[in-house]
Amino acid sequence: MSREEVDVAVIGGGPAGLAAAVKAREAGLDNVIVIERSEYLGGLLDQCIHNGFGLFYFGEDLTGPEYGRRFIEKASDLGVKSLLNSMVVRLSPDRKLLISSHTGLTSLSAKSVVLAMGCRERTRGSLCLSGTRAAGILTAGTAQRYVNIYGYIPGREVVILGSGDVGMIMARRLTLEGATVKAVVEVLPYVGGLIRNEVQCLYDFNIPLLLEHTVTEIHGKERVEAVTVARVDKKWNPIAGTERVITCDTLLLSVGLIPENELSRSIGVELDPVSGGPVVDSAMETSLSGIFAGGNVLHVNDLVDNVSREAELAGASAAAFAKEEIKQRKPRVRLIAGENVRYAVPQVVSIGDDVTLSVRVREPAENVRLKVGNIINQSLRVVKPSQIVPVIVTAEDWSKINGVVYEMLISCESRR
Amino acid sequence: MTKPEIICVGCPLGCRVTLTVGPDSRIENMAGNRCREGEKYVAAEFQNPARVFTATVLTESGDRRLLPVKTDRPVPKSRLKELSRAVAGMRIKPAVGIGQEIAHDILGTGANLVSTGTLSG
Repeated sequence: MSREEVDVAVIGGGPAGLAAAVKAREAGLDNVIVIERSEYLGGLLDQCIHNGFGLFYFGEDLTGPEYGRRFIEKASDLGVKSLLNSMVVRLSPDRKLLISSHTGLTSLSAKSVVLAMGCRERTRGSLCLSGTRAAGILTAGTAQRYVNIYGYIPGREVVILGSGDVGMIMARRLTLEGATVKAVVEVLPYVGGLIRNEVQCLYDFNIPLLLEHTVTEIHGKERVEAVTVARVDKKWNPIAGTERVITCDTLLLSVGLIPENELSRSIGVELDPVSGGPVVDSAMETSLSGIFAGGNVLHVNDLVDNVSREAELAGASAAAFAKEEIKQRKPRVRLIAGENVRYAVPQVVSIGDDVTLSVRVREPAENVRLKVGNIINQSLRVVKPSQIVPVIVTAEDWSKINGVVYEMLISCESRR
Repeated sequence: MTKPEIICVGCPLGCRVTLTVGPDSRIENMAGNRCREGEKYVAAEFQNPARVFTATVLTESGDRRLLPVKTDRPVPKSRLKELSRAVAGMRIKPAVGIGQEIAHDILGTGANLVSTGTLSG
């Protein structure tokens, strides 16, 4: 078994991993390696052929493949190494990696590690959907891969459960490819994805949107033949008597994404049960020294632009750690989710650090005050669970801290 | 006089904006928007709703079965399905670079269809 030593090992070659590796290389480290389990770099971006990427990061409206290409080329120009078709099967807290590939097992020792494994889709299993196990039930992302990479149209008459962005994007895509999307069914009273997708993917094509509805049963033996949908009450329980059957041959699921942290968990990285990702500090360092995280492995972002920004910070910090440049630790505060806040990342912040918090709210609300302890108090016109609220904390804000603080409440209060 | 409704996508507020439109298709009044930016967006969306069209085309290469493409500028929303049918009949030969023109002034929209990926032999 061969052994190698590197400066920074980045696990995952999607947008997060590439951004982290580029930053680490730009920090002057020679030996930066990206380990990617699929056959190419760029992760999910290649199948996201629609536009809307890069508006914040590049100030341009790019498609997924174009956005990905920029980072792949930059990484390649800078001499970032990559291992494709290679999966990290074991990681240890002292930053040794065991990698499985077609050449067998390889062992790698890294001065620092960036976790950039991204996220995966929730499947039927996590919904407890009753009915048969007929063909034609797949996640929206799998359908996207079939249509945009392999050129297979998964069905002719489609119902989509959940109104996440991938689901809405696929509603449009399948419509343009000649399929009929009979309904997008959402359990909440509002759409799960971005407003522009609601308008440009659903309303542009007159695709029926059933809010406060769910699929209660799947029919069909060999192949999906229909689904039963019903209105739900406030607790998401189907209301008897509101059921109706929609004939279809395909059911797509767009019901949420889960950060992929099996590897993190295996070495005891502290995870945030709400965000689903590692607890990190303002340098994107996890609870284990020298192990950093960025992108959707940390929490599910709304935009790839934010993934890149977060992962760049993880990459820069990993480089600083590898160069033993990490400054003396400053006192830290832990952020606690308060009113209408689901989570904030990073969860632990060093006092005095310039930091951008990614805040995810629970419910949509208008005219709110976003507060972080006594140091931030800003008014926001609107907040929605589908959009991360970026909160910038500067040295000036930190100067408002009095005395010793260990915890700060972050809240999003409705103005009454 | 008609009263179309347009949802603004400028920010997460998603204002439902009602227009009062005169017989000459001129916007006489706008209600429901909460900012000036929204006003601009809604006026443009009413006069010429346009979208960047994205799709894939079949390739004649073992490198990849499909090549992603887009129009290099927004095209009228009403023509998206027509464009989709047009690209369904295309076959692309390698080599193609990112940004390379695949079809000039596609269907007379004034937009060019360009590759958003690379295709080798």
